[in-house]
Amino acid sequence: METPSPAEIESAAHTTPTRLADGRPPAFTPLDPRVVSLWRLDNAVGYGILLLLSGAGAFFLGRAIGPVAWPWLAVAWGALALWSAFMTMRHPTLAYAASGYLLEERVLLIRRGVWWQTIQFLPLSRLQHVDLNRGPFERRYGLASLVLHTAGTHAASLQIPGLDADEAVRLRDQLVATGAGGDDAV
Amino acid sequence: MPSDEPAAAALHGRLHPATLIFTVVGLVRSTFFPLVIALLAGRRVAWYLWAILGFAGLSLLWSVARYFTFTYSIAGGELVIRHGLVGKQERHIPLARVQDVRLEQGVVHRVFGVVKVDIETAGGSGAEASLSVLSVAEADRLRQAIFAQVPGAAADGGADILALAAAAAAPSVLRRSRGEGETLWQVPLKDLVLAGLTANHLGTVMAVLFGGFALVDDLVPEESEKQFYRAAARLLSRGLAQAGAAPWVVIGVAIAAGLASAAVFSVAGSILLYFGFRLGRDGEDLHRGYGLLTRRASRLPRRRIQVLKIEEEFLRRLLGLATLRADTAGGAATAASQQDGGAHGGRDVLVPVLPRASVPALLPQFFPDLEPEPETWRRVSPRAVRREALPGVWLSLFLSAGLTAVLWNVERLVPAGIVLPSLWWGALPLLLVPVSIVSSVLSYRHLGYALGARYFRTRRGALSRAEHIVPLRNVQAVILRQTPFDRRQRLARLQIDSAGQVYTGGGPQIEHLPVAEAIALARTLAREAERQRYRWDR
Repeated sequence: METPSPAEIESAAHTTPTRLADGRPPAFTPLDPRVVSLWRLDNAVGYGILLLLSGAGAFFLGRAIGPVAWPWLAVAWGALALWSAFMTMRHPTLAYAASGYLLEERVLLIRRGVWWQTIQFLPLSRLQHVDLNRGPFERRYGLASLVLHTAGTHAASLQIPGLDADEAVRLRDQLVATGAGGDDAV
Repeated sequence: MPSDEPAAAALHGRLHPATLIFTVVGLVRSTFFPLVIALLAGRRVAWYLWAILGFAGLSLLWSVARYFTFTYSIAGGELVIRHGLVGKQERHIPLARVQDVRLEQGVVHRVFGVVKVDIETAGGSGAEASLSVLSVAEADRLRQAIFAQVPGAAADGGADILALAAAAAAPSVLRRSRGEGETLWQVPLKDLVLAGLTANHLGTVMAVLFGGFALVDDLVPEESEKQFYRAAARLLSRGLAQAGAAPWVVIGVAIAAGLASAAVFSVAGSILLYFGFRLGRDGEDLHRGYGLLTRRASRLPRRRIQVLKIEEEFLRRLLGLATLRADTAGGAATAASQQDGGAHGGRDVLVPVLPRASVPALLPQFFPDLEPEPETWRRVSPRAVRREALPGVWLSLFLSAGLTAVLWNVERLVPAGIVLPSLWWGALPLLLVPVSIVSSVLSYRHLGYALGARYFRTRRGALSRAEHIVPLRNVQAVILRQTPFDRRQRLARLQIDSAGQVYTGGGPQIEHLPVAEAIALARTLAREAERQRYRWDR
């Protein structure tokens, strides 16, 4: 293993001594489990529409080209259907396991991504404002999502989806209060 | 907000009468070619002619009305601009929000002793107000009045416009601007020539050439143009034939001529844009003034520098030269870069070209509390070499296998007697293997970071290099990313987000960090950023 111990990191040569915090993986708070159902519903609707449209497209394309095309179109549409089934049934559970948030002192960590994973570290004093969103599907499951805005360029808005509605309000108030706690709100 | 009587206006003014001349000139320029075309086309398209003239007349009326109704005033901490004959428009700009008063003076502007004034605010997109044109003295008065009321701005700001005025009054356009305040850097002509020669401007040059050809096409009758080319070609081929040159010499001469003209254009462009570049500092404000024909002057409070980039393009690095760029907070920068298609008149540039060795001494002028340059940089994980080389290695193996298979099959199908390339040619892509390994090693050796008490630095690149410096107080968020390939090697990429990352190519990031170190570093950066103040304005 090449994972450096904190002592090793400390001893790394710098003109000013590094003060690296520890590199243990953060213990994230999972999202509300109901978000799995929400994502399944979202994806079922989205991929359902996609399958219908592409099915219709394939049908007309097949009629235009002739019987040679049917097997190919069937295979392509079948592959899309398999992918849709995976995205609807399996992916939400994977995404749930890969998502989470954590408040470490005055830094908020947000984690997401099944294959391409990211962790965003947001110093709360950089918080410009917070949106609390409740879409129609989210309301159905009693969920809400937070959108955190910073003055940054690439991470100008960070999302925490799939929070219990009451928990979302509580978390928002806590984040805003913590962020405003410093006197350096913009 | 109707406020008909500007109570106790500190300053009240109108546009310079030369505005009308510029209006007419602009109008003539925009209608000239359509008019010529209409006239050449003859009577059949008379309506076209009338449409052009009608349009020109209407816009002339509009411009004249605008000129006569246009007034500006400073009162109650606001810049108020009014214009409009029928529908009156009024714009109020709080002076505290003014970021920059930019001045631009083209050749014609100089003849009349006027300047174009753009007023920019934080968060605004593009210039919030454009006063085109004011007399130099009036522009200076306006600038003084604005900055007299902007907290934190140097009271005697606006030095560069005086320099501009001096340059405008001077008989020779070659006179350099001598701004007030301390001169931090002046770019000598020699460096501008080198910058032009080493610039990656081939694309620009091509565009200019094609634009030129298109213009010639438009203006010159086709037949005489053809005759000219034919004569030129005959002359050239006769000359070469007399010299006994082979066709490849002709091609060589053509390429050399192309490169030479590209170099000339590039050098000319560099000198036109940056001639007499001076970076000065007056208290907290940085001043830039530059340009041979069109002169530009702008002010940048150094606190607003979010990220600083020391850029060493390969050719310039060979000559020991570098470019300093900065990202500044405010939406204006984004809009400007989009409008100008990336050229943005050099506004992103702190110093267009300077010896790399002079950079460290200059940096404290931008960041007064900057720690000295690190003697050693912390490297990323050695697994970076494998991570970076593997895709290239796999690709070359794949290509090699594919090529060999193709050659093998062709050999079996083609009848005997036809000479084919040997199967060994299939091994050619394997040459990529050492290339990709060497480049991975080189890039690993130059990839590094240094974390100080107040600043974070990254550096990257083997042939072309770049160093980013970000004050921790400007860090907005820290982002860790891991692709599936990264996960196999237990590596991660760390990226720093700050405001207004437009000009420095996305700001500082560093890849191939061991996961634990990446997490530790991200935590530290975020905590330090949290502890240190960030302020938009100062």
